[in-house]
Amino acid sequence: MLDRVLRHAGIDRLIHWLTAVCVLILLATAFLPILGVEFAWVAIHWWTGFALMALVIVHVLRSVTPSRLMRIWIGPRDIRDAFAATRRNLHLAGTAAPKTGKYTFSQKFIHLAFAVVVLAAIVTGAMMMVKIDTPWWDRDPYWLSDEAWGIVYVVHGLAALLLITMVMTHVYFALRPEKKAFLRAMIGGFVSRADYERHHDPERWKAEE
Amino acid sequence: MPDLIRVSRDVYGAETLGGMSWDLIPYFFGLGLVIIIAHAVYSRWFAPRGADE
Repeated sequence: MLDRVLRHAGIDRLIHWLTAVCVLILLATAFLPILGVEFAWVAIHWWTGFALMALVIVHVLRSVTPSRLMRIWIGPRDIRDAFAATRRNLHLAGTAAPKTGKYTFSQKFIHLAFAVVVLAAIVTGAMMMVKIDTPWWDRDPYWLSDEAWGIVYVVHGLAALLLITMVMTHVYFALRPEKKAFLRAMIGGFVSRADYERHHDPERWKAEE
Repeated sequence: MPDLIRVSRDVYGAETLGGMSWDLIPYFFGLGLVIIIAHAVYSRWFAPRGADE
């Protein structure tokens, strides 16, 4: 038995960090011009949007197996775990934190939030690309009515604004000292056997070495 | 209270939805700061030892 457990395969870590880079570039190219930093942002923005779309497609294709989907799905047991953890954190119960599967309720929730918001940004961003010239098509600003474009802009803008808050909090929680095992796993792939046995239920997450 | 949406005018002068108001940027940034500071204060002084959720 090895003293470490594989949490994230190399391809999954690569997708995570490339996605992070894409989201940061997209936020910078979206908001810096609004804040007065002027540069030719449009081409960088849509090329990066294309890259993000490709990464999300690869991630989804890798994830649509029953076992992988169940690992990230928020089920009744996760809700119970979250209530137990909340009661403990509010000093209403003195019991130890429940052991979780591969992901905690918080991690599943932030993944779901990022999935919804990033997909909304990607779909609306892809629609907006109809309005710009690319090597593959000429712009067509009349594809949708002005009212429909307005809704597309609102959804895209709201997703971008939400990503400001979500990226800030995601980075903060990733850097918390009590989460260092998760950050180390997202960098190197492994958690220690001790961390695995302390925090995870082997019935819900079978160790791979 | 900042505007929530931007309104523009089409070629006929009619008002159309232009997107979310960019006046909201500091509010979403501030919300992130509030969450971070609130959690840091809670973790430092109020969380039970060993709490990680």
